[in-house]
Formats: sequence, structure tokens, C-alpha cells
Amino acid sequence: MLLPALVLVPLAVLLPPLVHGGGWELIGSFALAAVTPSLDPVVLASLVKGLGVTVGMALLGWAGSLVLGLLLGACSSRTVWRTLTGSTMPAELIRRLLALPRAIHELIWGLLLLQLVGLQPAVAVLAIALPFGALVARVLSDLLDALPTTGLEALRAAGAPAPAALLTALGPALLPGVLSYGGYRLECALRSATLLGVFGLGGLGTDLKLTLQSLEFHELWSGLWLLLAVMLALEAGISLLRRRWLVPGRFVLARRGVGERSREMLLALAALVPLCVLVGRALGVDPAALLNWQPLPGLGGGDWAATWALPWPRLVGGTLLLTALAACLAVGLAPLLLLLVAPVGWARQGLRLLWALGRLWPPPLTALLLLFVLEPGVITAALALGFHNLGVLGRLLLESADATDPAAEEALDCGGSGPRLALLYGRFSALARPYLAYGAYRADVILRESVVVGLVGATGLGSQLLESLSSFAWDQLLALVAAYALLTLAGEDLSDRARHRWLRAG
Amino acid sequence: MAAGPATAVLALRGVRVAGRGRPRLEDVNLSLAPGERVALLGASGAGKSTLLAVANGLLAPAAGTVLWEGQPPARSRRGRRRQQARIGTLWQDLRLIEELTVQQNLNAARLARWGWPRALLNLLLPLDTDACAAALRAMDLDPALLEQPVTALSGGQRQRVAMARLLRQEPTLLLADEPLASLDPRLAGELLALLLAQAVAPRALLLSLHRPDLLDGFDRAVGLRDGRVLFDGPVGQVSEALLADLYGGTPPGVAP
Repeated sequence: MLLPALVLVPLAVLLPPLVHGGGWELIGSFALAAVTPSLDPVVLASLVKGLGVTVGMALLGWAGSLVLGLLLGACSSRTVWRTLTGSTMPAELIRRLLALPRAIHELIWGLLLLQLVGLQPAVAVLAIALPFGALVARVLSDLLDALPTTGLEALRAAGAPAPAALLTALGPALLPGVLSYGGYRLECALRSATLLGVFGLGGLGTDLKLTLQSLEFHELWSGLWLLLAVMLALEAGISLLRRRWLVPGRFVLARRGVGERSREMLLALAALVPLCVLVGRALGVDPAALLNWQPLPGLGGGDWAATWALPWPRLVGGTLLLTALAACLAVGLAPLLLLLVAPVGWARQGLRLLWALGRLWPPPLTALLLLFVLEPGVITAALALGFHNLGVLGRLLLESADATDPAAEEALDCGGSGPRLALLYGRFSALARPYLAYGAYRADVILRESVVVGLVGATGLGSQLLESLSSFAWDQLLALVAAYALLTLAGEDLSDRARHRWLRAG
Repeated sequence: MAAGPATAVLALRGVRVAGRGRPRLEDVNLSLAPGERVALLGASGAGKSTLLAVANGLLAPAAGTVLWEGQPPARSRRGRRRQQARIGTLWQDLRLIEELTVQQNLNAARLARWGWPRALLNLLLPLDTDACAAALRAMDLDPALLEQPVTALSGGQRQRVAMARLLRQEPTLLLADEPLASLDPRLAGELLALLLAQAVAPRALLLSLHRPDLLDGFDRAVGLRDGRVLFDGPVGQVSEALLADLYGGTPPGVAP
């Protein structure tokens, strides 16, 4: 489990030459500004407005992805098709088709749509809804197809029509998965909306980037703290709902009757609809404006020779290297840091805060910050990406470590093994396999995400893609997106296999 | 035969089901009159489960005909559903829907008549509480259990809930595939008595049984061996010699 942390060794060797030393004072004043954020009402008002836009975009994109995901998920479920028509062929077909929107990162979607329909709030919403919808669909159909079908068969044999039987037999069983994953997706949507803002699609992300570029660190930190507060509140709210709705029924017998939980959820969903409409109004989302396509520059007579002449091996290699470095950093550092701070109680809280910051901080901003002191390149990009994913993985690790039985650790600790070894043997050994399995999935996400640090990557597909995009080279863009999609699909397959292997061996 | 084929709740004629090597059923003739209670005897692998699968329409025979209340399998989807709604099956693994309450599970038996809007409503509100309570009482269960999730019930209670669900379906043909196999003898006797009490005209019951000692309440016994009907007659005629023939003649190691 700690092995991936070995990546620190080559990093430690490679890092010093990259340091150009120009901006240490800037980094210092940036760090200092954390405790002295700007409290200027004008600044705060503008940040709050930006935050509102970001949260609104996240909410709308998320709601859209849920609707899309539920529909497409049902459409790509083998069980559903088998029950309705007796054949699973259409499910397989839709599954394959959905792989494409899923493989393309929301940032690419956003930038493509931006070129296509111009800057408008609906772009960010759609950019989140499309890939997230395809992701939700995949998770949902996997969940659906893993459910036992004997109850369904019994209902069908008693003459129940297919839709009613599916709803009754599989609906309630599916609900916990949908809730749990849906909540997680909302957190992701907030991060994505911030990220899209960094690339100019509006909202707080745009403010953050501008303040960073103009070195207004105090204002930057005001924005970051605001965002942190919203993110933590959201995470707490989601876990509260999860606990309220997902505790097994038998513990709440006395208080709740038939379908009360479902009614509550339905009510919450029903409340979401007018909320989304209001938010859409407030943001000025206009679906009709999406139909006004800009004329595509030079599509058709593309310069395919130039596209072919791109340094493909170097681009793909750079992307893979970036992914591997960032993944190892994130996967390896989380348990290592947790071990290091194990003896000190309050340090754990500090780590929690650091991880929360990592999660909320868009990687391109970290990259920009790193550029103050580092040369651009794969390592700088990997550090930025690794820090972000460290936040995600660290939280997961801490949560699952808290959820495991402390008995083994206590026994070891009493045996005088010291708190670090106790944690390592007592808890991590039980967590290693699921954690690594999740790490494999995360590597997959990182591959997709590597586009967002293209600004400083300088060698990977991501930076080439951003470059082609800004020069309107559609032919190159198409080829790059296709290459990205292929790479992501291959990576997904690989990480799926790794995950199955690790989980099965457990 | 107690009744003519026109009025029979279930009639199989010359039914054959192919299998690997030898047929799983061969030239099976069987008829159930309204109110008749028939026990299906036979060793593992004799074809009891296959026969029940043919009887509830899950398995279409390779040859022969199956008639429910004098009708062959309906062509239209709607007609087929209406037919299936009149065939109630008590599954060996019960097949309750674990996420739902007792009441929702009981109402799930009504889906064939309801369609999806009420199916949706069933997930949100307690529907038809009186009818559900009556079904529970008929199975000697406390109606207070209606609001319990089925996961909170004991094994015997779950068995009774599955039987109550069968009642809620209001079928004319009751089928059960070794429903008592995993129960202790006293409980098995109690549940069998409840089930037999429900099989009054126009209803008929066909139940596969592993234990010949529980035959008392049945009108007729049908003995299967190697996919063929070896015996079909009043329970009183089931002799030690016949049982030895049914259970002793199977080569060991044949899976059901």
C-alpha cells in the first residue's frame, strides 16, 4: 500500500533542477494571505456572486446528469432489456455508445461547446451534465445488473407487467446506490464547476484565476475559504441525508411507516425541480440559445498531414507519465502522511483540512502557483494533479479507517508497538485491497483529468489539445479528442481488471 | 381422473421436456379438478421441479399440451398476463422483495391487475390495508407485522408472508415446489395445514413433497420416476412398496 510512495524518490532527485527560485517571496505572501483574507465588502460581494454562479452551475449540471443518467442507465441495463424484450443486445449497444461521452473530460466538453455555441451559462451546465450523465448511467446499469433477479422473476411469473415488476422488485434495491453515488456526483459537480470557471466559463473559478494572476492573494484566499465552507457544508449535508435515508429499515421501525422514506425522497426530488428552474432563471440559462451554432471554422478541408505529423508518441507518453506520477503521488502519500501524523491527535485534523483544500482547489490553479517557483513540465503538472487527488483519496482513506474495527489496532498499541505500526498493521492491512482498488479507479480518473493541467504540462496530449483549441485547428482537435478517448477507454479497461483482481484476491 | 379436461384447473397431456441425455419429462398426463389437492412424489431428479415449471408456464414443453382452466397459453401479452395472474407459485426460496415491507410485498402480488401507476403508489403509501391484514390473519400472522420490513422477520414468519402473498394474488391454481424442505417437522406440519385449508374449490393445489409422512391432507398422490408418471391415485393407495420403487430406483448422484 505504501509502495506507490516510492515515487517520491525520483521526484526528490528531479525536483531541485526545476526550481528556478524566482518566486519564493510570492509563495510566502500567498501562504501568509491564508490567515489574512480580504474582508472588503465589495470583494466579498463579488466573490459571493461568483460562488452563487458556480454552485448554480454545479446544481443544474448535476440535476441534468441525474436525469440523463437514470434514463440512460435504465436503457443500458441488461436486466431491463431482458425483462422488456427478452434480448440484451440493445443494452450492449447503448453501453458501447455511452463510453465516448464518458471518456471525454468535462473540461474538453466545456471548451468544445464554448467554441460551438459561444460563452453562455448553459455551456458549463451542459459540459457537466453530458459526461456525468454517461458516468451515472454506467454505474447505475452496473448496479442494476448486479441485483438478484429472483424477486423479479417471481413477480413476472405471477403475471405482473414488465414495468411494474421492474419498479417494485428492483427500484427499492437500487435506491441506496443511486443516493449514495448521486450525492458523491454532486460533490464532483461542484469541483468541476469551479474548474470550468478557471477556464473562463464563469463563476468563482474565473475570479480565483484572475486574483491569482494579478497576485491579489488576500482576495484569492477570501474566495477559497468561501468555497471551502460551501464544500464542507455540502459534504456534511450529503452524508447527513445518506445516514437518514440509508440506515437499514429495521433500526427505525418504531418511527416510520410504509414508504415514508420514499415519500421524503420524492418530496426532496420534487422540491429540486422548481429550485433548478429558479437557479436556471437566475443564471440566465437559455436552452434556446444553445441552438445558435457558430459557423465552424474550416471544418471539412482539414490539414490531416499536419495532424498526422504531431509528435504522437511523445504526446501519449507524456500523458501516461503524468498520469502515473500523479496517481502514485496521490495513492502513496495519503497513507504515508496519515502514518506520519498518527502519534499527534490534532495533526490529523490539520491533515483533514489540507485534504479538503486539495479537493476544492482546481489543479490548474495549483499548477499556476507552482509555476512561481518551478519550471513548467510534467513534474509540475503531476504535483498539481497529485495534490488534488490526494485530497480525494485521503478523505476516503480516513473515512474508511474510521469505519473499521479499532480492536486490532488497540491490541497492537497496547502491546507496545507504537501508534504508527499499530495503525499500519491494525487498520491499513485490512484496508489495503479496497484502497488500492479504489486507487486503480482513481488512476483512471487522473488520466481523464490530465487535460486540465495542460497549461503547464508542456508535453502531454492535454497541452497540445488546449493549443489546438486556441488556434481553432479543428482537425487536430478531433484527432486529439479521439486519442484521449481511446486512451481513457483502454485505461478504464485496465483499471477494471486490476480492481477485480485486487478485490477478488481479498 | 376426478374431472373432465374441460373443467380441470390444470391439464397436462402427453407432455415431454427434452434434457441432456434423457428427457426430463416424458409423456406426462395429469389433471387437477377444482378443489383437488395433489402431492407430487419422487426422488431428486425425478422431474418434480420440471413438472411444476411446466405447470406455471415458465417452461414450454417440447411436445404435448398444457391447459389452464381449459385454455392453452394465451397468444397476446395481456391475455398471457391474465392467465399467469391465476397461477400462484410458492417458491422454495420464497422470493420476497427484501427491501420492502410485508404490506408492500403482499401488494406486489396484485401487480398483474394494477399496472405501474399503482405499483409506484405501492412504494409510497400503504395500500389495501384491510385485504393485506386478512391475508396475514389467514396465515396465523399478526396484522401488526404489515409495517415491518421482511428482513426483520423470522424464517417461519417469512414463509407465512410468502404464503399470504400467494393468497393476495387470488390464484385458481396453487403450485409449490418443496415448500417445506428446510423447515422443522412441527412447523412444516402447521404450514402445510394452512396451505391445504386454502385449496378449496374452485382452487386446486399441486405440491411437490419430499416426505411421504405428510401425505394425510391430500386427495391424490402422483409419483414420478425418471421423468415419467409411475403412479397416480388416491393417497390411501400409496404403499411402502410403491415408495421404495419411487425413491429406491434412482441411481445415486443424479442432480435434481
